[in-house]
Amino acid sequence: MDEVLARRNIPCVESSFEIFDHTADMGFRVRAATMPGLVEPAGKALYAIIGELVAGEPSDPLRFEASGEDPSVLLRDYLDELLVLFERGQVIVVRPVVEAFDASRLVIVGETARIDPERSAFHREVKAITYHELDIRKIAGGFEATVIVDI
Amino acid sequence: MPNEHYTGPLERVDHCRWRIPKSYKEGMRVDGLIYADAKLVEAIKQDKSPEQVANVACLPGIVRYSLAMPDIHWGYGFCIGGVAATDPTQGGVISPGGVGYDINCGVRLIRTNITIDDARPRMEKLVNQLFRDVPCGVGQGGVIKFDRRELRDLMEIGSKYVVDRGLGWSSDVESTEAGGRIPHAEPDLVSDRALQRGGDQCGTLGSGNHFLEVQYVEHIDDAPAAKAMGLEKGYVTVLIHSGSRGLGYQVCDDALKDLRDTPRKYGIDLPDKQLVCAPVDSPEGKKYLGAMRAAANFAWCNRQIMTHLAREAFARVFETSAERLGMHLVYDVAHNIAKMEPYDVDDRTAELCVHRKGATRAFPPGHPELPERYRGIGQPVLVPGDMGRSSYVLVGQPGSMEHTFGSCCHGAGRRMSRGAAIRASKGRSIKQELADRGVIARARGRTGLEEEQPDAYKDVIQVVDVLHSASISRKVAKLRPVGVIKG
Repeated sequence: MDEVLARRNIPCVESSFEIFDHTADMGFRVRAATMPGLVEPAGKALYAIIGELVAGEPSDPLRFEASGEDPSVLLRDYLDELLVLFERGQVIVVRPVVEAFDASRLVIVGETARIDPERSAFHREVKAITYHELDIRKIAGGFEATVIVDI
Repeated sequence: MPNEHYTGPLERVDHCRWRIPKSYKEGMRVDGLIYADAKLVEAIKQDKSPEQVANVACLPGIVRYSLAMPDIHWGYGFCIGGVAATDPTQGGVISPGGVGYDINCGVRLIRTNITIDDARPRMEKLVNQLFRDVPCGVGQGGVIKFDRRELRDLMEIGSKYVVDRGLGWSSDVESTEAGGRIPHAEPDLVSDRALQRGGDQCGTLGSGNHFLEVQYVEHIDDAPAAKAMGLEKGYVTVLIHSGSRGLGYQVCDDALKDLRDTPRKYGIDLPDKQLVCAPVDSPEGKKYLGAMRAAANFAWCNRQIMTHLAREAFARVFETSAERLGMHLVYDVAHNIAKMEPYDVDDRTAELCVHRKGATRAFPPGHPELPERYRGIGQPVLVPGDMGRSSYVLVGQPGSMEHTFGSCCHGAGRRMSRGAAIRASKGRSIKQELADRGVIARARGRTGLEEEQPDAYKDVIQVVDVLHSASISRKVAKLRPVGVIKG
């Protein structure tokens, strides 16, 4: 994808996220040059809402697979996996590698680590990754995902 | 992200009700009806929550109205403050979005024999003790552990299970909505994922807008009702707000996933996919109801255990027993739940599935579900405000059965987003500002006090006044905060 955009002289979107306000809850918008590129910043955005989470001891490796009809729902399901991993054992995914991400399938492997309680700080508990305004859309130079979380 | 405004119709019915006619949107089966005064309705129009009231009116089997209380704001599928009753005999559905992620989030109030004057010299010590003893904040597990078999029993039996384990008084069960147990819970339908996520969180406060607050009775509006509840001006009370923690959040999340294709299966056309639902009597509907009831019972146990921990903290600080301190539970109410309740519909009594999402049950005097001591006054309704101003105790009135399926508001309703509240806190110490108002606050998270500061909420008086004037509920007592712990 990046090469195609470069050939057409369209600057690639740099991976980034921004957190926005949403009534009683919070949301984030993620941009990347490719759809798989949305995965890592989306995870970082979720973690940024929860707190300042610093990786400590390594934990079991992650393998996440989901299939469906809507890539935004697949991304939501991955974020839900991150949330449950965190709540279950204070584990975070540190280096996700996207093996496949298209309209019907998402496969991610990655290293995980327990958070270091001494160097981490919590802001708030995320109850759920909602379907509210959930979206992945194509933008100039890449893709943009919108996710709202229930606080 | 700026919220879009609602631009559809809102027809004034009277001084406190506004109608969205069913002609507004194709698929609406009943009118929408929002309780608000003229001032609140202007604020309500600033987001799309009235649109959500109209969307809920499209649900199969919905009876009379799609309702919203004056603390309405934008939610997921249903608005917060939404009430909808569906009739299973008419194809009525159950929708997890009408309960919310935090199944049986609710509030309980404990009274004491301690006057605020006697408590003030020990207030800092008391708040510190509560902060130490009641687990709160992100990732905090409970101090009392239950194995898988015990969790199963706890979700089946509800409050009585933990009371029988010595974590409460038998009178607590009677003073809890539904006796702290919805029957027909099916703990085996609660997923392993939900158990792993929240199974160790029973007896924990959580984060966000959950809190444990020490207060005193500042003002009595209805002396006989206050007396029946053991509330007296100048005496200390404790208010606990929490729900079913990670276990309940995951039960909701699992259901939303399971039900993704169910509307298509049953030919249900929905204006918003977050209203996924299933007929109450369908296998899918029964599955969600069974798991939701188990999570609701877990939530009652959660608040019960925190009651026990709070009593122990008080006993330690005041160097006497909780019994001597008269720490009786006034009442415990759910405000995120769906329950089967009988109502008169078209000259017959129908067992309706009443969804209350950010709405409190408010049964009137004489209702058979109320404990004997409240039969004459009506059900206590607990409405938290904010940690700087006040909260309210109300009682249900006959109007609630006539107009709102026995329901009332659940809080003040947010006025500012979390981000806006943090920005508004820049350069200020909310903790100090609360201390200047006489409130000692302790919070585990770095942004908890900022996000939940008093200015982030509407004044709860505005909200309760609407329902008082609509004869849905009646004001009993105003509670003023003096100490608060938050996650």
